[in-house]
Amino acid sequence: MRTITIDPVTRIEGHARVLLDVEDDGNVKSARLVVNELRGFERMLVGMEADRMPLVTARICGVCPVSHAIAAVKALEGLWGVEPPPAAILAREILAAGHLIHSHALHLFALAGPDLYFGLAGDTTKRNVLGLAEVEPELARKALRLRTLGQKLVEGLGGRGVHPVTIVAGGISFQPTTEELAAMEGAADEMVALARELAAWGRGLLLTLAEREPALLGAEVRSHDLCLVKDDKVSHYDGALRLCGPDGATVAEIPCGAYAEHMEERVFEWSYMKPVLFKQGGSEVSYRVGPLARLNVAKSMGTPHADAELAAFRQAFPRPCHLTVMHHWARIVELVWACETARANLAEPTLRGPMRVPVKVRAGHGVGCVEAPRGTLIHEYVVDGKGIVRLANLLIATQQNYAAINQSLEQAARSHVAGKGDQAVLNAVEFAIRCYDPCLSCATHAVGQMPIAVEIRRGGEVVRTIVRKR
Amino acid sequence: MSAPRVTINTEWLSGCGGCHVGIMDLHEKMLSVLGEVDIHRCPVLTDAKGYSEADIGIIEGAIRSEHDRLAALAMRKACKRIIAFGTCAVYGGLSGATLAHSREEILDSVFRHNPTTRVSEVPRAEVSVLEKSVIPLDEVIAVDLYLPGCPPHAAFIFDALISLARGRLPKAKDESVCGSCQRDMVKSEVVALKANHDGVKDEKQCLLSQGYLCLGSVTLDRCLAPCPQRGVPCTGCAGPTQQILTEPNRDLRTEIGERVGRLTKIAPEAVVKAMEASAKTHYAYSMATRMIGKKPTFLIKKWIADVEA
Repeated sequence: MRTITIDPVTRIEGHARVLLDVEDDGNVKSARLVVNELRGFERMLVGMEADRMPLVTARICGVCPVSHAIAAVKALEGLWGVEPPPAAILAREILAAGHLIHSHALHLFALAGPDLYFGLAGDTTKRNVLGLAEVEPELARKALRLRTLGQKLVEGLGGRGVHPVTIVAGGISFQPTTEELAAMEGAADEMVALARELAAWGRGLLLTLAEREPALLGAEVRSHDLCLVKDDKVSHYDGALRLCGPDGATVAEIPCGAYAEHMEERVFEWSYMKPVLFKQGGSEVSYRVGPLARLNVAKSMGTPHADAELAAFRQAFPRPCHLTVMHHWARIVELVWACETARANLAEPTLRGPMRVPVKVRAGHGVGCVEAPRGTLIHEYVVDGKGIVRLANLLIATQQNYAAINQSLEQAARSHVAGKGDQAVLNAVEFAIRCYDPCLSCATHAVGQMPIAVEIRRGGEVVRTIVRKR
Repeated sequence: MSAPRVTINTEWLSGCGGCHVGIMDLHEKMLSVLGEVDIHRCPVLTDAKGYSEADIGIIEGAIRSEHDRLAALAMRKACKRIIAFGTCAVYGGLSGATLAHSREEILDSVFRHNPTTRVSEVPRAEVSVLEKSVIPLDEVIAVDLYLPGCPPHAAFIFDALISLARGRLPKAKDESVCGSCQRDMVKSEVVALKANHDGVKDEKQCLLSQGYLCLGSVTLDRCLAPCPQRGVPCTGCAGPTQQILTEPNRDLRTEIGERVGRLTKIAPEAVVKAMEASAKTHYAYSMATRMIGKKPTFLIKKWIADVEA
């Protein structure tokens, strides 16, 4: 047996790595994503003033702070029995939409876009957003512009882009001026137009890539799917949790408050990230959340251009679609949806109404649930009569995708480990993970980056280690 | 021939990634920065994995695990100048609030005694061992420049990057959050402190004048005051002002107490007592740094334990 070590992995190589266990014949037995950071928010939040939770839990993740802030505030409003005014709900939906635009645009064009454009085997020194900007300057400019417009909605209504400050129990902490709202509304048409233009570009690239790499159209994870729905439509702010089977049929629909009876976290001895199972009728299933899951669970998006995009997607890949690579198309549909939703809410006269009602603190227990860009996000708090947090529990999107991510990794590795070069293995593995846009800082309430090292093991012994060299 | 462009490495340790997103939030100005520097390693943007030599190393996040420690050392070796970027790198940041708890307590709440986690083993294979607590960057490597903020406002990031690209030092003004807040600091007849959730805040008057505990006057302005300007008391996320850091006997709670005492009818002792009783909330962002730990705040773990008892 020959042991190949491409480059000794020092322990500093990244927060996450991939372990591939192979049989004696060289076939891949299993693949594992090891997540290597832990911050301990569940412990840290206990003893803090509960009304600070939106501000504090935003710090779980700098990529999706809005989602954490809204999940936290909904849990508090539930336990204090407060109904925020309609204007505040519209404003929060705009914040969530602006946030989704920033997150999806960033992923599609800056993180995954280079994969789509240059292909899996592209030159790694060029395969990044700077390389993409060199060859497609106009497109890169438009993509960054769209992200900026989304993030400016968060800045306008949230007080700032990263870690917005205005989401408070009882509503929104300030009254935006008519001029401020008019300025945001003025950019809405441009946003929708940009999203539609970029959607066509992204869709085209995706189909070209699928032609170039036909294996991608064989890589599917036939999983259950879960998301928040309201009137059969995707709902990012509220609704019920619906679980659909791999055939697309509804298996369960539960109120968010009942999550703990159905969702169970497990522990892998080899990772700080906890996988999640859904318990239903005596059995346990792993499931997927996020853009593709949402499109599989919901009947429609509820806005005209996004529904047209969805129809085109379903025409090409009928519902339910389990192809890992199609997370990208799902993100494209959602990007258009978010722009249309923001535009519709900004035009609402109700948005000009009062933004806040007073809150009376009491002891209680509350659960808040939203659809974050990467999937279902749940916050749960127990608060005492003085308004101090006594227990905090957080269930994050990427955790719920853990089983599917490992399965996709296994598929990617299987088709590349035997007989192909190291770079091909690394490219395929990283591409598979990127489809999920995993946010490891959320998932471990710690931080993460793309896996940097792939270790191939036989009988527990490392036979080959692959890292990307500059 | 023009001078060679300044080269940059970035690294992301234990933190939320928000400081890297903060750089994206330079928006249009990001293109001016990119026009003057060469980015070598940036884990969120490029595929470069190693630590090649660079003029400037931007480090986000604190040291939480052995991995973070080794990554920080590798950055120090590779970069001529290190910037501790964001409050986590400078002071430990929010997760520094775990200072009050042991590693085992944290592992307990996440793995062993968590409401939705089936009791099972605690991860120990393959993963890095956690440090005893969250450690600010400069306790592990030498730091040349500090840019706190959670994240720093784009205006400060732009000034820092463009100044360094052009070979001069950033302006880094030394003012408190009050300097950017438009509220009127007036004397009032308020007799009791209010909790953040009590009543409805006046839109124009200083929050301290109204009896709310706002940390703006003891917090360095790296944000342009988005919180107090929009009805939310400052929670000190950019860390303390120079005055608090450099004068041994001044502390957040005594300083705020004195100011509230001058502005209202509330006794300074009441403020000190209230802030000790809610130490985890008020000291969250900077309690992991020795600069705060060495002050008369050494009972901070006891204050926190008392609240949780």
